Amino acid sequence: MAQLIEFPIKAATRAGNALTEPLRSIWPIHSVDDYGRDPHLIGALAPFARLRWDVTVGGDHHLPARTGALLVCNSRRFSLSSVYAALALSEVTGRPVRFVGRPDIAPVGPFMRRLGGLLANPNEVLGALRHHELVVISAEGTSHPRNAGAVPHELVGSAVVAGVPVFPVATMSSTVGRAARVEVGPQVRPRRKRRGPLAEVELAEQVQHHLQRMLDGFGGVQTGVAPIDWLAEG
Amino acid sequence: MGGELGSLVAAKLEAEPWVGALVGIDVDPPRRRLHKAEFHLLQPSQRERIVDVVTKFNPHVVINLSVWEPDARTGLAHARQFTADATTAIIGAAAECPALESMVVRSGIEVYGREHQAPTRPDETAPLHPTSEYGRMLADIERQARDVGRRVGIAVGKLRLAPVLGKHVPSPLGRLLRQPLVPYSMLADAPFAVIEDGDAARAFVAAAERRLDEPVNVVAPGAITTLQAIMRGKRVPLPLVGPEWWVAARLSHVLGAPIPDHVVELMHRGRLADGSKAQHALGFSPRLTTPEVIDHLYAWESVVRIGSINEAVA
Repeated sequence: MAQLIEFPIKAATRAGNALTEPLRSIWPIHSVDDYGRDPHLIGALAPFARLRWDVTVGGDHHLPARTGALLVCNSRRFSLSSVYAALALSEVTGRPVRFVGRPDIAPVGPFMRRLGGLLANPNEVLGALRHHELVVISAEGTSHPRNAGAVPHELVGSAVVAGVPVFPVATMSSTVGRAARVEVGPQVRPRRKRRGPLAEVELAEQVQHHLQRMLDGFGGVQTGVAPIDWLAEG
Repeated sequence: MGGELGSLVAAKLEAEPWVGALVGIDVDPPRRRLHKAEFHLLQPSQRERIVDVVTKFNPHVVINLSVWEPDARTGLAHARQFTADATTAIIGAAAECPALESMVVRSGIEVYGREHQAPTRPDETAPLHPTSEYGRMLADIERQARDVGRRVGIAVGKLRLAPVLGKHVPSPLGRLLRQPLVPYSMLADAPFAVIEDGDAARAFVAAAERRLDEPVNVVAPGAITTLQAIMRGKRVPLPLVGPEWWVAARLSHVLGAPIPDHVVELMHRGRLADGSKAQHALGFSPRLTTPEVIDHLYAWESVVRIGSINEAVA
């Protein structure tokens, strides 16, 4: 008769449990969603995000309750506007909101994926929109906070193919203060029906115009320090 | 038909009213009691015999599950050889059958690859850029099946399975996750999805019944990272950053749980796929989510002891 030689798994597991039990109490068992977004991690980081941004959200009633939508926000360079807009809108709508533009290199890329980041790849955006997700993309970064840069029409094309609405999202934040604002505008509807790629190019231009109008309506720079705001207007 | 997945598919096919006769070929005998099926114990290298058995039976549907995942039942070199031999023999034999209407082949989401800037959650339209040896093996099976399908004018369904985990399924990922000490990539800890073997078997039966003629991802909903899986299984996580992976992989090999390149890739870069097409293409949705499959993985006994044999009965 063969004899079964058993590795002392139970003893090893008991020892492991004793070692990792404190970690488990801090970090409970959970999982990520279909795209790798981790609501638990986002919840844990929310207080730190609030230390940096105190976001006021408006116009969220424009967003669909269940279906997917592409949200296009303006971006001042290095402001991480799509990140704080996605986090704030997610909190207000109670739905996961994903942002586009995470790098694909560790450790930043995987960390941003846990926060809801997607690659700036039209196929990736199309897949998420077809899955009824809310996805935030950024217009090209500008140096002036009230200028809307060009909107990447390749990514808007994903919304056209998926047949989901596109919304402009005007964002404003300060480099020194915590105050930030996220305003969702009404859906941008294409002026003309196009069958080819002109549909996305024209829609992207329209979104940029809408964004610029919304930013103009915001008024001047809001740093919280009046003289600086006044100087920045010049 | 001798592997766990093959036996499961055969058992489910036997219960289907549309299935008349059933013939299976494998290197191992079936692991379940089969009532209707006829089984042939053949090696992948016995091409003449395989062709003979298949052409004599002249089936309407061929399901090719003969895929050896590296380090599941055998090492990489043998896995590559057996898979190539079996694919050539089965697909080649199927092409000689005049009654054949459809062929369903096993593939995997490893075919999409995980190169930089590859989609996080590719659907079936994503280009195939396998970046692991297993992925290249599967892409080759798909290519051969597609070529034969075009040549003889039959439907070819390709089921791209997420890593299959099940009670008796030999899987390097499952084996690694059940070790007492499990390494994970501290900098990435990427998410992945899996599929339970019973769900995978149901997908094959549905694909055969519907004469599937396209690729379909078969993925359990949800995702999990390696660290989360380790915590669920109450194992000890071993955080690794880079070069020590080589040492960990060798050590794990010595301890009986080799880590092939596609599993290392899964841990570093993740392995997700969009499985929504299965619902309308196959009328199939997995019963278990990815976290549930992982929970089941840890619920299995390491050693199942059979009670003392009753001599009066024996």
